[in-house]
Amino acid sequence: MAAKPKLMRDVLIQEIFARAQKDRNIVFISADLGAESLDLFRAQLPRQFIHPGICEQNMIDVAAGLAMSGKTVFAYAMASFITARCYEQLKVALGAMNQPVTVVSVGVGLGYDDAGPTHYTTEDIACLRALPNVEIWTPSDEESAREITVECCERPKFRYVRLERPALPKAHHGSFRASMSQGFCEIAPGGDAVILSSGFMLHRAMVAREQLKMAGIEVAVVDLFRIKPLSARALTSHLSRFSHVITLEEQCLAGGFGGAVAEAFADHGLTKPLLRLGLPDRYFFENGGRNHVLESCGLGTSAIVERIGEFLAPSHRRSTHLPTVPTLSSF
Amino acid sequence: MVMATKKGHIPSCFSSVELLVSLFYGGTLRYQRGKPDDSDRDRLIVSKGHAAMALYPILADIGYFPESELAQFTRKNAMLRMYADPSIPGIDAISGSLGHGLGIASGFALAAKQDGRLQRSFVILGDSECYEGSVWESAYFAHHYELDNLVAIVDRNGLAIMGKTEELCRIGSLEDKFRSFGWDALTINGHSFAEISKAFSRVGRTNGKPLAVIANTVKGKGIGFMENRSEWHNRMPNATEQEQAWLDLESPCLSH
Repeated sequence: MAAKPKLMRDVLIQEIFARAQKDRNIVFISADLGAESLDLFRAQLPRQFIHPGICEQNMIDVAAGLAMSGKTVFAYAMASFITARCYEQLKVALGAMNQPVTVVSVGVGLGYDDAGPTHYTTEDIACLRALPNVEIWTPSDEESAREITVECCERPKFRYVRLERPALPKAHHGSFRASMSQGFCEIAPGGDAVILSSGFMLHRAMVAREQLKMAGIEVAVVDLFRIKPLSARALTSHLSRFSHVITLEEQCLAGGFGGAVAEAFADHGLTKPLLRLGLPDRYFFENGGRNHVLESCGLGTSAIVERIGEFLAPSHRRSTHLPTVPTLSSF
Repeated sequence: MVMATKKGHIPSCFSSVELLVSLFYGGTLRYQRGKPDDSDRDRLIVSKGHAAMALYPILADIGYFPESELAQFTRKNAMLRMYADPSIPGIDAISGSLGHGLGIASGFALAAKQDGRLQRSFVILGDSECYEGSVWESAYFAHHYELDNLVAIVDRNGLAIMGKTEELCRIGSLEDKFRSFGWDALTINGHSFAEISKAFSRVGRTNGKPLAVIANTVKGKGIGFMENRSEWHNRMPNATEQEQAWLDLESPCLSH
């Protein structure tokens, strides 16, 4: 039986800790977000661990000052507070001054599932994507989380790394590193259609793929783990062999993951049917947990399967004004 | 410099001129002429970025860039911009958005302590800048990390763009506020070289506390018709007013 997957934050912190023991210039700042692995870091390397209080604005400015003084800096906090809360600092101190700080967010999307809109981060891709100089990375399992951390340690630059709160199963099998330069990796082959996703939703895409397969529909799944900079030419070239493209994200659609793909299509003359699946343009107050909220938004696995099925169905069926037929709802 | 292109914020600069002159020529800042890239020189951030341009003539004078750049201020492709940023030799952080300088300088100061370097970091804050909550986030931080190599100088000219700070939204005693955050703090006349110099003599002697110097100043100091007049924040004088300004500036205006 496979070992229980580790939390991404522990993977990241353990990798940084191992390096920080040998490199006194590595500094880890947490705005009051813990982790089991961080307890060891704090105990062993108190000089290299900084707690600035629940204080994200100052944390980012301090991070910039430390980076400008030659430190390799990781700034770590809950996703919604290390993005929108200190957006101005990300823009001015890290973006405009182009400072090599890794901004690590935990619990992206609806990850803090019972907490509601203050803790949900359904706009972080749209926000961060608008900043020049930043790279945006979304790991989907232990392997990708570790490789991304190694990159951040060895070649520091302004990066935004989006961690999941729960542990996720394996998505990659030793080949993640080889795909890092292009920023995406096909993790499951398929027929005419392809689903692009990342992080938590990548795994939902894999489940949907299995269910579509049972209905006789083959789709590929691509982990688009670096949404900025997007290797637009390589991506559109990779996608050219598919007839239909689906993007799947746990973000509001405005300016998000699917939006970035649509822009790449437009900019590179790729004209293909594109279905963007994501959250509707509203806030989410429903109790019931992450899956319940996703289901209420048409992002439950069966609804995803159904919507993809309709999207891939012959065009005459899609052009009718009748309510869509739930042909695949049994899955 | 400013009159050539009619851009900039004149009164905000004149309220902090003596502070800057004292820092650079009074022996407070440690730097070497002509060596802006010396990584051990003291850091200075004019966090009230609209006055960062007051630094330009000084930086030219100490050989960080040619004096000819001054006349090019804000001109197409020129080096010196309305708001300073680190692409300009001797400028240690970007400015223009208030409330960043103290946090960035806290990062400089903490790194210097961690590395055992003697470098100190100075920040000039506007009093209206202290409305920004991030300033007080940094104030907590600097106290906790015992950044006695950090000095905040508040240019307390009492004016924001729309009027007097105490009438717009009361600031009260900044000395008391910094003290309550665990800083060493004192209030001085920011146009008196004697008082400034005495205040700066405390740098490095604050026993683990960061130092806040609240400098009471006059916005537009030295130009009679601009003094304490918020409407001059980013207004440019006409030809007659310019002439008057020069006359005013040439007459003794310093208190000792």
